Amino acid sequence: MLCEEYALRKGFLQSLDSRIKTITILLFVLTAVSLQRTSSIGFLYLLCLILAVSSKVPIVFFLIRTWVFIPLFSLCITIPALFSIVTPGEPVSSFFILGAKVIITRQGLDGAILFVTRITTSVSFVILLSLTTRHTELLKVLRGLGIPKIFVLTVSMCYRYLYLFAEMVENIFMAIKSRIGLVVQYKRGQQIVAWNIVNMWNRAYQLNNDVYNAMLSRGYTGEPRLLSKFQTGFLDWVCLLASVILCTTIFYIENKL
Amino acid sequence: MHIPDGYLSPATCGIFYVVMVPIWTMASKIAQKTLKARQVPLLAIGAAFSFVIMMFNVPIPGGSTGHAVGGVLIAILLGPWAACIAITVALVVQALLFGDGGITAIGANCFNMAFVLPFVGYYTYRLISGSSSSTSNRRVIAAAIAAYLGINCAALAAGIEFGIQPSLFHTANGQALYCPYSLNIAVPAMLGEHLLIFGWIEVIVTALVVKYFQKQDSILQKGEEL
Repeated sequence: MLCEEYALRKGFLQSLDSRIKTITILLFVLTAVSLQRTSSIGFLYLLCLILAVSSKVPIVFFLIRTWVFIPLFSLCITIPALFSIVTPGEPVSSFFILGAKVIITRQGLDGAILFVTRITTSVSFVILLSLTTRHTELLKVLRGLGIPKIFVLTVSMCYRYLYLFAEMVENIFMAIKSRIGLVVQYKRGQQIVAWNIVNMWNRAYQLNNDVYNAMLSRGYTGEPRLLSKFQTGFLDWVCLLASVILCTTIFYIENKL
Repeated sequence: MHIPDGYLSPATCGIFYVVMVPIWTMASKIAQKTLKARQVPLLAIGAAFSFVIMMFNVPIPGGSTGHAVGGVLIAILLGPWAACIAITVALVVQALLFGDGGITAIGANCFNMAFVLPFVGYYTYRLISGSSSSTSNRRVIAAAIAAYLGINCAALAAGIEFGIQPSLFHTANGQALYCPYSLNIAVPAMLGEHLLIFGWIEVIVTALVVKYFQKQDSILQKGEEL
């Protein structure tokens, strides 16, 4: 989950400046959520897959990573919207369930396809961004986008503690498993979870003092300073310009059709 | 409750960004003004704690499990404005790094989970707990009610956001462009699962954690909230 293996590969998206890459991907996501035709969004999805391949992200891994959960979940929740009881309209197909006639409508079907395509495309772009960018750089981009320092500082510090806390939780679960096994009566299980949350908070609170002392020893005076080593090149600007032209063209074609 | 990209129209997402900007600005100002230098890392730790709390699976009757959000708990521990920052940070990290919750929907997600949830929960907790001692049972009951109310108000807000999409954004022939379910389906669906399942998980976690905190010499007894 927290692996940066693909961000360190020498692919197309990895070669771009993180700020330009984030803006470009955001532009594609915004375009995907604004378009109203499945074909236009499908074209963007194809572009996303091409970008994934050119960035040396294995396509099977990428498809599994993007389709698991959100698009599949969205696919499931759109099923009721196919039927005339939720989306009235022109009948496409009908069948009987327990003696009741069920009608699938054109509007319901088109709406469901559009909904799932849009979500899959948006989620794919965001996951592609997180896969091809070092997480610390991605968080630093926030500062470049004008987010207040207190948020950026908190985000970057939070990111570091996630690893530590995730490990703590893993150890807690392992310790519970090794002592009481997998089967536990639910009330006892709830108490164990609550106790461990308290324990984790207390450890986190103690850590706060250590972190503050570490900050002081490195010269923290109450004003956060953030390191920024971003540098844009010719390719970055070409890429951004090409994305703007592409998105504008897609909008233009969609409006013409 | 995390809304992915594509569930809400860009206009709705934009409105929630506009709504959240002053809240974030206010939270940032209040935190900077009231935050003691020593407590700066606590915000980050609170955010990481909020993120990780979702990894704890709570056993529920019937052999199933669910996870808590912990928003009200964070608000009780750190105060509502600091909770707003901490939960926002957790949501931003989830959206940017793990694709959980959409980037375009960060405003809406933060409105539901970093504003409605901690503020409703925190003030309900304060109202019910009153001036009772930090170790009284009244505080445990207050935390439980606050958690239940907080998460359900957030779910209601999400349900309304989903439910207004088909009537506002559809094609000429009635095809929904975003979330296809209207208010009469989206609100009961969102509220139903939180009233019946997730709300109770939040209650169990919040109340038990507050109860355990009372037994310890912890932040809750020191009253060090921001």
